Amino acid sequence: MDARLTVLTAFPPAAGIDNEEYYQNSQQHAKRVRELVRDNAQWIRESADDILKHVNPAVYSLSYLMILEFLLQSPGWTSQQAHESLASYMAQFFLQFDARQIRCKGSTWSDVLKEAYSERGLFPASVAVELVTAALLRLDPSGSIITSHHCNLVELAYNTGNVGALLPLIEKPIIYMPAKGMSTAQPLCDMSLPPPAYINPDSQLTDALTSAAVLQYDFLCGLCFIERRMWQQAFDAFERCVTYPTRDGGCSKIMTEAYNKWILVGLLLTGKPPTLPETTSQAAKKIFATQGKPYKLFAQAFKSETAGDLVREFEVINSELLPNEGNVELAKLVLAHYQRWQIINLRNIYTNISLEKIQERTQSAETGAPLPTVEAVDQLVQSMIADGSLQGAIERPKDGSPAYLTFLSSPAQGMSEVEFSAQVNKVMQGIKALEPIIEATNKRLASNREYISHTVKRQFDAAREHKLGLQSAGGGFEESSFHIEEEEDLMSGLPAH
Amino acid sequence: MDDRKLAFFTAIEDQGGVIVKGRTRFERLFHIGRSSVPLCVDALKAAVQEAKAGSDILRYQMAVNSLFQAAPNEPEALLDKAWMESKEKENRDTTAHLQAELQGYKNNLIKESIRMGNEDLGKHFEAIGDVEAAMDSFWKMRTEVSSTEQLVDLGKLLVRVAIERRDWKSIGNHLKPLNSVNDSDPKAKALKTYSKIANGIAALGQERYKEAAFCFVEASSGVPPEIYNQIASPNDVAIYGGLLALATMDRHELQANLLDNDSFREFLQREPHIRRAITQFVNGRYAACIEILESYRPDYLLDIYLQKHVPKLYADIRTKSIVQYLKPFSCVRLDTMQKAFNGPGPSIEDELFTMIKDGKLNARIDAINKSKALQTLENYEKQALDRIRRMNIMAADLEVKGSRKPGGMNDIPFSMTTDDTVSLA
Repeated sequence: MDARLTVLTAFPPAAGIDNEEYYQNSQQHAKRVRELVRDNAQWIRESADDILKHVNPAVYSLSYLMILEFLLQSPGWTSQQAHESLASYMAQFFLQFDARQIRCKGSTWSDVLKEAYSERGLFPASVAVELVTAALLRLDPSGSIITSHHCNLVELAYNTGNVGALLPLIEKPIIYMPAKGMSTAQPLCDMSLPPPAYINPDSQLTDALTSAAVLQYDFLCGLCFIERRMWQQAFDAFERCVTYPTRDGGCSKIMTEAYNKWILVGLLLTGKPPTLPETTSQAAKKIFATQGKPYKLFAQAFKSETAGDLVREFEVINSELLPNEGNVELAKLVLAHYQRWQIINLRNIYTNISLEKIQERTQSAETGAPLPTVEAVDQLVQSMIADGSLQGAIERPKDGSPAYLTFLSSPAQGMSEVEFSAQVNKVMQGIKALEPIIEATNKRLASNREYISHTVKRQFDAAREHKLGLQSAGGGFEESSFHIEEEEDLMSGLPAH
Repeated sequence: MDDRKLAFFTAIEDQGGVIVKGRTRFERLFHIGRSSVPLCVDALKAAVQEAKAGSDILRYQMAVNSLFQAAPNEPEALLDKAWMESKEKENRDTTAHLQAELQGYKNNLIKESIRMGNEDLGKHFEAIGDVEAAMDSFWKMRTEVSSTEQLVDLGKLLVRVAIERRDWKSIGNHLKPLNSVNDSDPKAKALKTYSKIANGIAALGQERYKEAAFCFVEASSGVPPEIYNQIASPNDVAIYGGLLALATMDRHELQANLLDNDSFREFLQREPHIRRAITQFVNGRYAACIEILESYRPDYLLDIYLQKHVPKLYADIRTKSIVQYLKPFSCVRLDTMQKAFNGPGPSIEDELFTMIKDGKLNARIDAINKSKALQTLENYEKQALDRIRRMNIMAADLEVKGSRKPGGMNDIPFSMTTDDTVSLA
């Protein structure tokens, strides 16, 4: 075998060495490969195919990665054929690489990955999304940390309509944020490290992120889920934007946009206006109250008995807001679901109900009136039963008396005690599984300067506000009541942006 | 006032001062005149008389105009121009005189006289119907107040004007001096009752029904009605307290706070039908309770403070009755219920439909307890993850930041910090 190939396959070493040694070896190996590539550029360019056949990407990931990097930077690789081979090498690599090795060379891995989804177009978007999704999950199978690649990828997938391949990635709950200074003294190749300890700007497996990028990621995830009609996931994604932590009275535009979509998706998902979680920051709440008011009124009209209110509110927001914010289709869907939710909610009141009564008790928000005929009700109910949104059956008595809908018990209601306890156990295990995450977070935060100074500042601010509050409360009744009114006035004059 | 009415009012007054005094008397008469067909002419005539006995020309005109529209042939339906002119002149003179007097006190810097001057002027403004000016004058008395008693009197004046202006929110503040009177003070009990009743009216005006109910129920019947009859009569206390309690309290609370409350029982003696309605409710005879209340609905619609709230209170009482009625049953036939709750109002099915929908009635809810339990657990997991995520965002210094400087003096109410970030202070 060519001695040069021996250099490329010299790493990884045989098992039995500790992490520290492994890391040292990897760095020396990377240095050797770099020298080899520099001295044999011609050879690599010409016989890349043969060389890479010998270098299995699943085993010799580090060497393979460095050759890929070299090929991508080579000026000669612009022909169609070269493009295709390069794409094929990259696909093989990203589907098989050994995550432990590339942790030791994060910057190179990131650079090559960026090429996979760059505008240079080595891959069609559909392939790029699938490949990068697989690569990111290979790097961190828990998918619990967001990286700059996540942000770019979700944008590409949404803009090119390739959401399907992205789902395995964006369905994983993000818990960690990459931050500088998160690295530990342990070598990066230690497989027991939690994701934020090796995926951070220091290891260069991700770039540093901004709050806007994180918000944008969740927002786009929400849009992707809407496209797939995965309402629960879309709702959660927008809720992450809405409740995003802020300080010093900050609130981002993305948050207000997400708030509007969150309301609409909430209506589709639960049939009633969602309530803001306690974790929403005060500043955001105030801004939502003014800027999201038309949507809030629309949501409140959803609760009304008659569809007329909802139609009126729809017209109010449809003239200006909806088209500007790209919510027209979503709001129309909400209108279409109004009657469906009215029918579903009848379950709480009736065990069975005649179709005529349904016609009388419910209204279509698309027309603002009850359905014209019992047949139309029949059709709607059947479609709801068919798509699973309604657990029920239409009974047609043989004696010719009118047909009626019987509500069947929902899966949870029909559950036996054994099934119920099995379900509870499953959830409990999920909660138990949080323990190591909490422990890891706790450990890291306890020594994180940023977090400690933040916590101290929070406590200080809270104490200060408490003190101010006491002062104003003790300042005589007429002054304090006047003060409140004045504040309210200030709020009502908020300019729209 | 003609002889018959005079005799009537005197007779009533002899029974223990049922009739309210002061300016609300006109308001009540005028309100009845405009709300009730059978009582219209008589009430408006009485209102005209009442207005003419005072100095408020605008009220007189309003009453005469209304009477003119209802019964143009009545002698009282014509404006007494001479009276108006002389009254107007008299009012003007009195205003000028009192203002000059006050100015004199101010020049001499006699605190007590300034206070009294302001009080006289305020009372005069109140009498001629300029409540804003009256409020101003009373308000100016604050700085010259030198004793607790004066502070209490001022509070009462302010409450009276605030009630006339329907400024419910400020009443609680005006009552503070009354509430802070020491219990050892012989007047404390009377002041507490005054304060309870005024607070009750204010809470009623703001639709805080339960709070209002407790205020009235806690009023003491031992206090002579003269103390509070400028704002309400003891009969009012019984009616307001009884209705509000029926609408907001459960059977045990009604028993404990009303029927077993010796002081409030005294009030209830004056309105025995309210007591009967409460007793029926407590004994579980809801239909009978509702029947009694329905028969008095027209009367309550004539009350200046209660009118606006009668439909809501009655609906609440009915809803509560239905809920209480259903408690012992797991299943009730709709026509049995229809019989029990016969009477005006929507059909019982529609009513139950709305009640179950609004969550006032827990029918069928038990069936979904299991799914709720599961949901709670799942939510717990979700929330835990969310909290960890938030801590990590803060630790990575990735929060959305505003422009407000903590502790800064130049807090701006609203500002755009960057293209992306909107900031609120």
